[in-house]
Amino acid sequence: MLFSSISFLYYFLPLVLICYFILPFRLKNACLLLFSLGFYFYGEPVYAFLMLGSTLWSYAHGLLIEKYRGGKLGKVFLFSSVAGSLLALGFFKYADFFINNVNSIFNSDIPLLKLALPIGISFYTFQTLSYTIDVYRGETPAQRSYIKLATYVTLFPQLIAGPIVRYTTVAEELEGRQHNLENFATGIRRFAVGLGKKVLIADTLGAFASTLHTMPHPSVAGYWLYAVAASLQLYFDFSGYSDMAIGLGRIFGFHFLENFNYPFISKSVAEFWRRWHISLGSWFRDYVYIPLGGNRVNTLFWLRNIAIVWFLTGFWHGADWTFIIWGLYFAVFLVLEKFWYNRVFIHLPKFCSHIYVTLVILVSFVIFSGNGVSGMLDDLGNMFFLKGLPLWSGETGYYLRSYGLPLILGILGATPLVKIAVEKVRNSRSGWVADALEPVFLVAVLLIVTAYFVDGSFSPFLYFRF
Amino acid sequence: MRKETKNFIVTLTYVCFTAFFVAMCICAGLNPRAQSESERRPLAQFPENITAKGLFDGSVIEKFDAFTVDQFPLRERFRGLKAAFQYQVLGLKENNGLALQDGYFAKITPEFTEGLVDGSIERLSYVYEKLVSGKTYVCLVPDKNYYLGRDYGYPMPDYEAVIQKLQTALPGAQYVDIFDALSLESYYRTDTHWRQERLLPVAEKLCAALGVPVGKDYTKNTLEGFKGVYYGQSAMSPEPDALVYLTNDTLADCTVYDYETGKHTGIYNPEKFGGKDGYDVFLGGTKALLRIDNPNAKIDRELVVFRDSFGSSLIPLLVQGYQSVYVVDIRYVMPDALPQYIDMGGKDTLFLYSGLILDQKAFK
Repeated sequence: MLFSSISFLYYFLPLVLICYFILPFRLKNACLLLFSLGFYFYGEPVYAFLMLGSTLWSYAHGLLIEKYRGGKLGKVFLFSSVAGSLLALGFFKYADFFINNVNSIFNSDIPLLKLALPIGISFYTFQTLSYTIDVYRGETPAQRSYIKLATYVTLFPQLIAGPIVRYTTVAEELEGRQHNLENFATGIRRFAVGLGKKVLIADTLGAFASTLHTMPHPSVAGYWLYAVAASLQLYFDFSGYSDMAIGLGRIFGFHFLENFNYPFISKSVAEFWRRWHISLGSWFRDYVYIPLGGNRVNTLFWLRNIAIVWFLTGFWHGADWTFIIWGLYFAVFLVLEKFWYNRVFIHLPKFCSHIYVTLVILVSFVIFSGNGVSGMLDDLGNMFFLKGLPLWSGETGYYLRSYGLPLILGILGATPLVKIAVEKVRNSRSGWVADALEPVFLVAVLLIVTAYFVDGSFSPFLYFRF
Repeated sequence: MRKETKNFIVTLTYVCFTAFFVAMCICAGLNPRAQSESERRPLAQFPENITAKGLFDGSVIEKFDAFTVDQFPLRERFRGLKAAFQYQVLGLKENNGLALQDGYFAKITPEFTEGLVDGSIERLSYVYEKLVSGKTYVCLVPDKNYYLGRDYGYPMPDYEAVIQKLQTALPGAQYVDIFDALSLESYYRTDTHWRQERLLPVAEKLCAALGVPVGKDYTKNTLEGFKGVYYGQSAMSPEPDALVYLTNDTLADCTVYDYETGKHTGIYNPEKFGGKDGYDVFLGGTKALLRIDNPNAKIDRELVVFRDSFGSSLIPLLVQGYQSVYVVDIRYVMPDALPQYIDMGGKDTLFLYSGLILDQKAFK
């Protein structure tokens, strides 16, 4: 089920809220579990059982790891837990990728499995992995209640597109959490903001990007605009979804960690990755990079660690070489920054580092959005005058005029300017105006996004398939 | 304002808003509407025969989703809100591919679909090679988007290339250019079609090419409240058009024979104005094969027009100089069947097609 749908907003969510808030606390987790399964079943009927099986696997391993922690068996069960989860992820997400590559290399003809990718498998697999690893490390006790663990894994606000909520973040709240007006109101505000970001900005910029990419008379400027629109679309789509997830979690008393922090204002690629998809970056840092030795090793091993982490980061996003190239592309810049950033940018005005990061990010999202490696190379060639395109075309001008305002809104919205302005108004003498307008804003957003749903614009979240 | 008060107001707003629309959804779901008049399509209903198979293959859920969207309360108003937000707040030039310029709605098509246009022209070429023997003329009708492109900078398809393809495919045919005889105002604001009362320059050009006199002394007959195909699609409830049809003594005496029904009617069918498509007033709407007989014709010439719906309003203006005009729509009749009904020998032939139709897989 999509958050951005009539069935979610006017059928599912009201029903789950009514049931959840009328039930006593001891039944609230079971209530969330049941509705979360229903939520998943709505979109992926068959794979709901896979998710439950995966949770059971982690549940049993959590108990065994805890029992044998410190001994050899503890390690065996940890290995078995991680291997089992990764095998399921590998089979459902990457099998055809490997078969394709084997067929290409060995000129063989192994038939593809053509399995549908279970929605959210990358997210919930990483969550269950973090759970068993944390139990092994002794950072959290194993969960004795399958219902509570399953509630954590399947929790519908973050089930299908993150953020990757670690068990340790919500472990206490699974046992007991507060339900009050502040949580509810804060959650609703955050949900509405996310919904607006997704439906009104991301989808509009998505249409802009798609039009620029397929217009009959393309131009170099059109491809750069495509890079801007596609980057902003990805940001508003994914951060909007994270806002909705965090908001919904808050309504039910959970405090999920932030997943984005204005990544486009970064002054270095390293900073960008501290602000973009924070839950994934910190997951790889804590469960891959640091166990490999992090940066407390010699240069050669550090380079290896960086390569492994960014290869995996790219590969996590999708079973295609474009994603691997995208990950390694960042690895290259992170390495370059480590050795040369201070030498170069410390002598230059601040805006130079912003321009550098912006260019790196724009190119990165063209790689990310590429239709296979050849499509990606075509797009890059078109951006850099290598394919004989003119600098400008009439159509580029037309679509820029048409989408100019959403583009400007997107650029402004990707910076903290809007937030700062709202805070200023709130803290000023006329702060009551902002307070009075808040419910109007809420109703306006809900009405307009409803209008978009009713008009039938189907728009699945981009991060569903990762 | 105190924090608690603000939180209470936000919560109350959300609860009231959602409760209102949930109640409305329940009411609308209990009394579902069958049809959307503005969109000219049936609306999705609550899924019948809910089976385990249907649940697991997702078909029931797909139908339920369609039902929730189609039966949502105040649906037309929400569609209008979205269109207004797109055009007036975000400043987009299109909503669902429809542009709005000076009150005129038009589908923006940056390019023709290569295979479709070629396929359509190939079909016309087949007709030309197989059936046509007399003097032949071909005329491409531009869509509104041509004038939006020419005068306002909207993207438009390459009409020149289509004209060249038509001339190549129908080598002996004389191409009659009517592009300059039209403008954006020659079309209805809410429909794809052109206004008959604005077609006299087009009729003059064609009659001059065909070598026949053009009709004159027309009387305008106005039918108010024409809601064209874009009226519903736009969701903006624009001012409906006025549909004007032209009559004179010659047209009043003409009869139209419908080969499908075997009945004779007049050139115009005003009684069809209240139906699904008001444009059906002209020659009765979609018809496979008609013959217009003009008892006042001074000379013994006949014309065969292969046409789409744009021809319905133009052809009455060409009738003056012909004893009979055969009106053929090969979307509804196989060309190979035509010799049973029409002896093509010695007749003038006109291929009159819009870019809009050539860009579809429409022909039999």
